[in-house]
Amino acid sequence: MQTEKAQPILNVRNLNIWYGEKHILRDLSFEVQHRKVTAFIGPTNSGKSTLVRCLNRLNDFTPHFRSTGDILFRGVAMGAASDATALRKQIGMVFRKPVPFRCSIYENVAYGARISGINQSAHLDTIVEKNLQRTGLWDEVENILDEMPERLSIGHQQLLCIARALAIEPEILIFDEPCGELDPIETVKIETLVRELTNDYTLIFATNKRRQAARVSDVAGFLYCGELVEFGATDKIFTNPQDNRTEQYVTGRLG
Amino acid sequence: MICAERIQTFVLQRITFILLGIVGIPVWNVLQKADAADTEAASALTPLNTLSPLLNDLYAVLSISFLAILFGIACAFYLQEWLPETNWIRRLVENVIAILSGVPSIFYGILATGIFFYSAGILKAIGVFPVPQNIEDGSALELISFQNDTPVFYIAVLVFILMVMPITIQTTQAALGSVATPIREAAYALGASHWQVLRRQVIPLAFTRILAGGCRAMSGALATAALIIGIYIWRYTTDPGAFSNRFVLFLSGALFLSIFSSTLIKLYASASDRFN
Repeated sequence: MQTEKAQPILNVRNLNIWYGEKHILRDLSFEVQHRKVTAFIGPTNSGKSTLVRCLNRLNDFTPHFRSTGDILFRGVAMGAASDATALRKQIGMVFRKPVPFRCSIYENVAYGARISGINQSAHLDTIVEKNLQRTGLWDEVENILDEMPERLSIGHQQLLCIARALAIEPEILIFDEPCGELDPIETVKIETLVRELTNDYTLIFATNKRRQAARVSDVAGFLYCGELVEFGATDKIFTNPQDNRTEQYVTGRLG
Repeated sequence: MICAERIQTFVLQRITFILLGIVGIPVWNVLQKADAADTEAASALTPLNTLSPLLNDLYAVLSISFLAILFGIACAFYLQEWLPETNWIRRLVENVIAILSGVPSIFYGILATGIFFYSAGILKAIGVFPVPQNIEDGSALELISFQNDTPVFYIAVLVFILMVMPITIQTTQAALGSVATPIREAAYALGASHWQVLRRQVIPLAFTRILAGGCRAMSGALATAALIIGIYIWRYTTDPGAFSNRFVLFLSGALFLSIFSSTLIKLYASASDRFN
């Protein structure tokens, strides 16, 4: 356990990203620690989404995408040669907009298990119940497991998506502005959940709400125009920023 | 910009008129001659011996359309899901298909006559097309082969496939493209492979639109053929001899599409027998 804590789970070195001719991320280097919440803050178009999408190689599908530099997951480079599908089973993701699949609530949560080849209904039942309980959705949906997720509120849909991502038992879970579409009460629920999940998972959190990052994260990075201006403990970033731009951003004068 | 568009429209209109003229002359020719024709050929036909060609043709239409649509859908999947958008083959094929699906059906007729029909004679001479021997009276092949043994049936099949495929490919591609990217990404983020995403997300969502596209392609091709079948049937029942006419051969390029026309000829003939 001690060694795991000392070793960063993700190690990003000199990451550069282009979309066509557009230079999106410039020379990023940072480390993500085991079982910590790492938040990336910054104004719109600063490259937060691009960065977190790189970490589970979702950008592979973007046309004209090009990158240099290394991303090491547990010390192993996730280059083009490695198996992206296997990687994504270890690094899950929750998006800004909840996208439940067009199948029952039960099947949504069971999706990850099914694509891994688990088909015994007893096993699936356990997985579904466990993960819905983790997200606090079980009491709401216990009796409507066979119905379509469209009838849930948007916040509950997002919780369902988190349950679905948890069901594949990832090591890292990426949140790409998970509260972007939600109202304040639902946002609080998700934030509480994120703090609870720190016990079992390493979390990466992209948001453009400064206070949210301050509330949920242990480590924070400030992205501005594709540059990682500052990266360090959240307390330090918000109370004693080293860079002028970070100070302006966290005090609300920039972005 | 507007000026260029006007010139384009003007040129296209002229081309259309000229083409209509080219088609119109032989049609007029046929209509003129029809008055003098007799109905001897039709009298030999009875409703009873129409059943076998009906089944023949039904089988042919169903199997061909099934294969053409399946192949079209497969093409569309390959283009849309496996080739990247920047791939030059994909761009080339998509452009060609866009042109083909917008082409008026007369071009297919010209293609059938000019290329398939005449080259088929050569191909047959060197033994590429199978030529059935001892055709029974009333079989589909004999009736649409214009008193020589050019394999018109196979030409009709080729042209029919060519007409159905572009529209199928286009609509299938559109259907696959309409499945929202976030849904695909959500599935990928859960560790699904490309095939799993296709099978569990994309195909269920696009299925009805793919089917509708196939139906549209089929009905489009059949509707085009149906117009011409009318002339063909009437002409055949009144004067089978007229089909040695060169002009009619030209027109027949479009007629080849009517792969089930032999049945209709017989039905029409027996019907007209009864009423006369």
